[in-house]
Amino acid sequence: MAAAAAAAPTRAEVLSLFRSLLRTGRQFSDYNIREYTRRRAADAFRENRALGDAPAAAAFADGKKQLEVAKRQAVVYSLYAPKAKSIMEMKLQ
Amino acid sequence: MAMAAARRALLSHLRVPVAARPAAAIAAAAGSVRAARLLSSSVTEEGAKGSFLDKGEVADRIVSVVKNFQKVEPSKVTPNAHFQKDLGLDSLDTVEIVMAFEEEFGFEIPDNEAEKIDSIKTAVDFIASHPQAK
Repeated sequence: MAAAAAAAPTRAEVLSLFRSLLRTGRQFSDYNIREYTRRRAADAFRENRALGDAPAAAAFADGKKQLEVAKRQAVVYSLYAPKAKSIMEMKLQ
Repeated sequence: MAMAAARRALLSHLRVPVAARPAAAIAAAAGSVRAARLLSSSVTEEGAKGSFLDKGEVADRIVSVVKNFQKVEPSKVTPNAHFQKDLGLDSLDTVEIVMAFEEEFGFEIPDNEAEKIDSIKTAVDFIASHPQAK
C-alpha cells in the first residue's frame, strides 16, 4: 500500500485524471459550480506541475478523492438544479 | 379502386421514412412507384452523407473555438498552428481545448484519441473523420 502510494503517476495518468475532473465538472447544472470546478481543477494541476515524485503521488491520490467528491456532488446538485439559467450562459444576440 | 388500394399499401409501407421527410411524403402519396424509389434512395443517401461534417466547416469551427480560448492570442491562430509550439499552450491547456472541441461538436473524444490531438490540423482531421461529430 505504501509502496503503491509512493509511486509517482505517469504523465498520461495525470492528464487522464485532469480530463475526468473536467468531464465531471461539466455535468453540474449550475453555471457557477460548473465553472468553479473547471477553474479549481486547472489551477490545482498548474500549481502542482513541478512536484517531486512523493508529493506528486500524494497530490494525485488527493485528486482522485476530489474526483469522487465531484462525481457524488454532481448527482446531488442535479437534484437541486437551478430553475433559471445564469446570465453568463445566455447567448448574446 | 385498385389504385386506392395500391396507394394505401404504399403509404403503410412507407410509414417510417415518411414521418422524417414530410415533403417526400406528399410526393409518395401521389401514388407513383418512382417517387417511392426516389424517397428511399434519398433517405439512405442522407443517412450516409449526414454522418460526416464538411472539412472546411470543421476547420472554421475549430479555429473559432481555439480563438475563444482564454490564453490564446487570436491573431496567432492559423489552420496550421501547433498548440504547444505556435500557441504557447501546455499539455493541460491542450486537454482543456480538446474538451472545448467535445462541447462544440457534441461527442466524447476518448483519452487515447485526445492525446494525439496536438494541433489544429490533427483536430480537424480527427473530427472530420468522426461520424458522431455534429
